[in-house]
Amino acid sequence: MIESIIETLVGLLGEDWRVGLEYITNGKHMKWYASLQYTLIVAVAGAACAVLFGLIGAGLKQSAIAPLRWIGSIYVNMVRGIPDILFILFFPLAFEQLVEYVFSLSRCTAAEIASNAGSWPPCDAAQWYLNETAYLIMACVTFGIVYGAFAANVIHGAMQAVPRGQLEAAQAYGFTKKQVFWRFQVRQMWTYALPGLSNVWMLLLKATSLLSLLQIADIVLWADRLGGANYLARAGMVHPDWRWKYYLVLFFLYILLTMLSERVFKWLQSRANRGMLEAH
Amino acid sequence: MEWLTSWFENSAVVQDIITLARPATFNIYFALVSIPLGFPFAMLLALGKNSKNRILSMLSKAYIYAFRGSPLFIQFFMFYSFLLTFNRSLWKPMGIDDIVLHPLFLGPLVLVLNTSAYAAEIFYGAMRTVPKGQLEAARAIGMSRWQEFWSVTWPNTIRLAWPAYTNEVVFLFHATALVYFTLPVINDQKDLMNKAGELFEKDYNVFLHFSVAALYFLVISMLIFFVCGLVQKYLSRHVRKEERQKFRFKPNYIR
Repeated sequence: MIESIIETLVGLLGEDWRVGLEYITNGKHMKWYASLQYTLIVAVAGAACAVLFGLIGAGLKQSAIAPLRWIGSIYVNMVRGIPDILFILFFPLAFEQLVEYVFSLSRCTAAEIASNAGSWPPCDAAQWYLNETAYLIMACVTFGIVYGAFAANVIHGAMQAVPRGQLEAAQAYGFTKKQVFWRFQVRQMWTYALPGLSNVWMLLLKATSLLSLLQIADIVLWADRLGGANYLARAGMVHPDWRWKYYLVLFFLYILLTMLSERVFKWLQSRANRGMLEAH
Repeated sequence: MEWLTSWFENSAVVQDIITLARPATFNIYFALVSIPLGFPFAMLLALGKNSKNRILSMLSKAYIYAFRGSPLFIQFFMFYSFLLTFNRSLWKPMGIDDIVLHPLFLGPLVLVLNTSAYAAEIFYGAMRTVPKGQLEAARAIGMSRWQEFWSVTWPNTIRLAWPAYTNEVVFLFHATALVYFTLPVINDQKDLMNKAGELFEKDYNVFLHFSVAALYFLVISMLIFFVCGLVQKYLSRHVRKEERQKFRFKPNYIR
């Protein structure tokens, strides 16, 4: 299929373009294009996790039980004082160590642990080998936790914005507390939460550029690999350091993704506003 | 007293706090250089976006959109590799390659370009909400446009934008953590995240080192909030108490 596309383009643009077109469709470049899927998967799945954690966080924050409320407040406010990059690096490492600690309880002898003090894992048998999928899932959950804190703040605010009268009316009609929460507060909160959630999505989307720090061969890592000076013993210098070109492509790719997201959120907002009393 | 000194010397947390003090100065340096430079540039961009000149307005809009719509991580890589390309033809012959490619120069440069786009959007939003009555009053008493700007638009913009700008400053400080993930580390010039990572690789104690690094970020962020809160109080000292836009840590704090 790619060959036929190249043929058509060469027919349109002239024979000079053939080498260039063939170069940017070679195996490595195709891998680069394919790696965009990781970015998109983590963005979408991470956003889903973030909304989930956001709901939990907002629920905790307005819980009637004080300790739960404190936990909710700490969770929501932690992202204000500590950079997201720190959490993004910390959670996978911490989780890995926790799992390895659990492994070490059954797999290591006391002597092994003692001799391995100050190092990690406690013994070789406790080492947890992660594959690509595991790293991807871990990245999604990590992004969910970090951006869930932002989402929790948005959702908490949106829940407070739902007109009190609506909830009181529901209560007066005899709905239980749970029903009022799920069918009225959560149901109506989305229109108020959407502008803020779109902000969180933009943050998350931009943060997906950090995936290469989480052992995932994402678009940034491939751009770095492909852009570096390319010297082949057989063909000589293919190209000098071209990284800026590859990063420029990523720069515009992210702007494009931002533009698309803006469109989608505009559409969602107009849908969510249907049947609402006032336009927000 | 002896138990106190011995605890102080043996406590891993205290040791970490001491070890990470110097790296923290690098984060502080990046923020301290970028904020004063980014502020006027952001103001110019906001004025450009708000201007009636269509070309100027479009250029500022495009700049703000591009830098807000793409990750800082990519921007760092892009500018670094871009400047690296001109190393042999430009910087080396001019003898300034050590300066241009140095993270202590390049880091603040990219941070300024990035933060000014975010701050410009904040200032632009504030500029649009400057009370119309005050502008009309300024025109009615025959102020020139320059006078109108300095006595009405400027003070109102700053006051209205300040809470959001505070958040931007904190986010900028957090963004300094990305500098050494993208630019080369020279000798022992390491920032908080970098040093914490290095300590982690020595003893694999992720909970200790990352927590202490987080503590540094937290304390300095709190300091920024506190100082900016005082500034906000000063800026709105003439506004009646009930009308005063309350400075809370709550407002829409997403970058």
